[in-house]
Amino acid sequence: MELPDTGATPPFIHVAIVEDDLGFRRALTEAIESAQDIRLAGIAGTRAEGLRLLLSAPVDVLLVDLGLPDGSGIDVIKAAVQQWSSCSVMVATNFGDETHVIRSIEAGASGYLLKDSSPAKIVDEIRSLASGGSPISPIIARQVLARFRQVGAGGASQPVAPGETPQLLSAREKEVLELITKGFTAPEIARLMSLSPFTVRSFVRRIYSKLNVTSKAEAIYEARNQGILDG
Amino acid sequence: MKPEIRGFWTGSAARVATTGKTVVEPKPDRPLRPFSAYAALIFSVALLAALGAFLSLAVSGIQRAGECLHLNRASWQEMASSGFSAPPASLDSRSLPDAWHAAALPLSLHAAAPANAHRTIWVRLLVTGPQSVTESLALYGARLKTDGSIALYVNGKLVYRGQQRGQQWNSLFTPLWVPLEPSVSEAPVREILIRLEHSAQYPVAVSSLWLGPTDALRGRYQTRQWLQQGLPAMLNAAFLAVGIFALFVWFKRKHESGYLLFFNLAVIAFAAHLHYYVDLPIANGWFGWLVVNSLCWLLTVVHFFLRLLHRRSLRWLSRGMIAVPVLIGVATLPLPWALPNTQFMLAIIYALELMMAMVVGLVGGICTWRSSREGRLVVVAIAVCVLLGVSDWMMHNNVASPEGWFLGAYTNGITFIFFCLLMYRRYMHALEEVERVNASLAERLRLREAELEQSHQRLREIEQRQLLSDERQRLMQDMHDGLGSTLISAIRSVEQGRMGDTEVSQILKDCMDDLKLAIDSMEPVEADLLLLLATLRFRLEPRMEGANVALIWDVGELPPLDWLDPSSALNILRIVQESVANILRHTRATVIRVATTAESAGVQVIIEDNGQGFDVATALWRSSGRGLQNQQRRAQAIDGRVDWKSGDTGTRFTLWLPLQRGN
Repeated sequence: MELPDTGATPPFIHVAIVEDDLGFRRALTEAIESAQDIRLAGIAGTRAEGLRLLLSAPVDVLLVDLGLPDGSGIDVIKAAVQQWSSCSVMVATNFGDETHVIRSIEAGASGYLLKDSSPAKIVDEIRSLASGGSPISPIIARQVLARFRQVGAGGASQPVAPGETPQLLSAREKEVLELITKGFTAPEIARLMSLSPFTVRSFVRRIYSKLNVTSKAEAIYEARNQGILDG
Repeated sequence: MKPEIRGFWTGSAARVATTGKTVVEPKPDRPLRPFSAYAALIFSVALLAALGAFLSLAVSGIQRAGECLHLNRASWQEMASSGFSAPPASLDSRSLPDAWHAAALPLSLHAAAPANAHRTIWVRLLVTGPQSVTESLALYGARLKTDGSIALYVNGKLVYRGQQRGQQWNSLFTPLWVPLEPSVSEAPVREILIRLEHSAQYPVAVSSLWLGPTDALRGRYQTRQWLQQGLPAMLNAAFLAVGIFALFVWFKRKHESGYLLFFNLAVIAFAAHLHYYVDLPIANGWFGWLVVNSLCWLLTVVHFFLRLLHRRSLRWLSRGMIAVPVLIGVATLPLPWALPNTQFMLAIIYALELMMAMVVGLVGGICTWRSSREGRLVVVAIAVCVLLGVSDWMMHNNVASPEGWFLGAYTNGITFIFFCLLMYRRYMHALEEVERVNASLAERLRLREAELEQSHQRLREIEQRQLLSDERQRLMQDMHDGLGSTLISAIRSVEQGRMGDTEVSQILKDCMDDLKLAIDSMEPVEADLLLLLATLRFRLEPRMEGANVALIWDVGELPPLDWLDPSSALNILRIVQESVANILRHTRATVIRVATTAESAGVQVIIEDNGQGFDVATALWRSSGRGLQNQQRRAQAIDGRVDWKSGDTGTRFTLWLPLQRGN
């Protein structure tokens, strides 16, 4: 990730962590400290602390672990999306845990960070996220495609109201996802589609937010169906 | 009781329901709602009642009873005669001897004279009441009972002749109806003279007579005619019709002899009661034989019916019930050499038949009273029929008034009604039974389904466990071969101090990659080989970057590989991983190209590098070439092939995979 060369000191990226795994916390702290442009603004070890953290000033990137000792990190993600609307939420995950990643994205997360990433990779991912990009893997791409296929198939009968319309992927978004499932990397896709690599990563961010909106719409539809909400 | 005559007519109605080959779930038609049902019922009953009332009013002429004269006083005298003779066309009552005995009608006379004599009875009725002469008149009476000819004179003129060939079978049951010709009825009727010829022993009887306008009297005549002949004939015909129905049922259900027996009963009863309706002369031998014998057969059939109900063999009684009719049948054959057909004979036969009836009724009653309500019904029916028979005997012998009814005609109706009652009970019972059986069948089906579901569940669990165990086996094997052995050699090296930190870290990273591949292999890729390769690339990317090797990703669309399960996926991942690892480890390549091609029978994964190459044959033979051998082994495990082409400018590795796999 190249930083814009403005000559002046670039604004810091403020990061907060909600994580009970001390090892990863330390690795993260060390990685952040080694970077000039990133500051650690807050640390929470439990869900309750995480929710309390959201009362303070918003940060740019919030890193959340799902398996907190007193509950699910998903709650923290949801609350963060509400209370820190400008903040990009990132879920800390182990490899092979794509299902949890998808659930976090549906809850409003914009990215994920593999816990065994190298310090350089960690810093890169934080920077990319802060600047509006999102990471993706072939398996996640496949699952996102599958989710939107479901929406597309069942979407016609669902209620349409402003703000809760299930959204469909655009042709280009779909193309990006399909190329990712074939193993192409962001720069390769950029070249194939005549885009900049950063555009590809922001495409992914847009796809994630569509998934978030769609899953909210589905939740409301489900709730209405079950009579929880008044239609 | 033999098993084959169980069934509908025995107590085990359940068999009817269960022996049916298919038990059909009762699919009720849309039932009438209670209101509509009652409306339909009330309409039908009201229609019948209205019809009955209208017809009886229309025909009875009862409202004109006042115009009719009831002649119930008469005088009579009896003369000996040398034989039956034709009556003269006109006769003056004053020419007869003045030996009249006054009597009230109905008049019953008892035989007193010796046998074989012929006699003539004269009955004179004087009419004194006022009469209408403008309407045509008729004479009506319940019956004139004699075995010779009948002649009727009005004002001395012959107006009616009956039984000219002697008594007919239906004579006694047919009321007297004499319309008076206009020539006769012009003048008021003053005297009615009746001439009755009879054999000496025959009990003659004369009912009271009615004289009046034809229209006013016809109702009385028709009512009596219908009740004495019409209605019993209808019941008789209905009995036969139901019997024929039963016969057709029996054709289909030969094991249920009850139906055949019912048909027998209907036919014999029909024959036994035919004499109430036919106007053959009684002298007709074969018909008489039939009349006498059919009653006997009827009792036999009833006995066997009862036996079906109480299910006791009663062997001797049954034999007797067959022997007696045969004996009577032979004895009464109207053949020249048979016994003479005398009144005495007839009395003996009727006595025998009465005894049979009582024995059948009594034995049947004893056998069935406790066990079978239906048997009781039959016995009650027999008793009623015997009583009706007794009433007939009383009529025949002038014990009862000659204006009475021959109720014997109704024995058939009674039998029919009682057996209908029996059938109705059976039918309802069978229906209920079918419903019950169906309900229990549905219940059994439900239980069976639950059971099946349970065993299916169990099987699935076993399968699941087997699957899990297989999967564990596979993973264990893989870990043991890759991760395990790498870790063991790393530990050994570290312990012996032969390894620096960077090397240890590298080995651990390799282990991590191994582990990731194993986990990736379990991701459902849905037959998509490209997705599998993409995942592999995603995992290997950091290492490639670290090694400063450029990766050219040159993959194209591939047909789905339906056999791509986790175990084959792991094999493919390991083959490709090994290939890339070899390039990174042993060659000084700067570019690796990964490509895929599709062929008609399979797909190819090609991995090329621009390193210095190696001698494939030697490498495969060397013990250090275990990597290549592993690749070969893994490819064979998934029915694929691996191939190396190596030269100075690089190596081309090909993995060929089939589109379809055997088994």
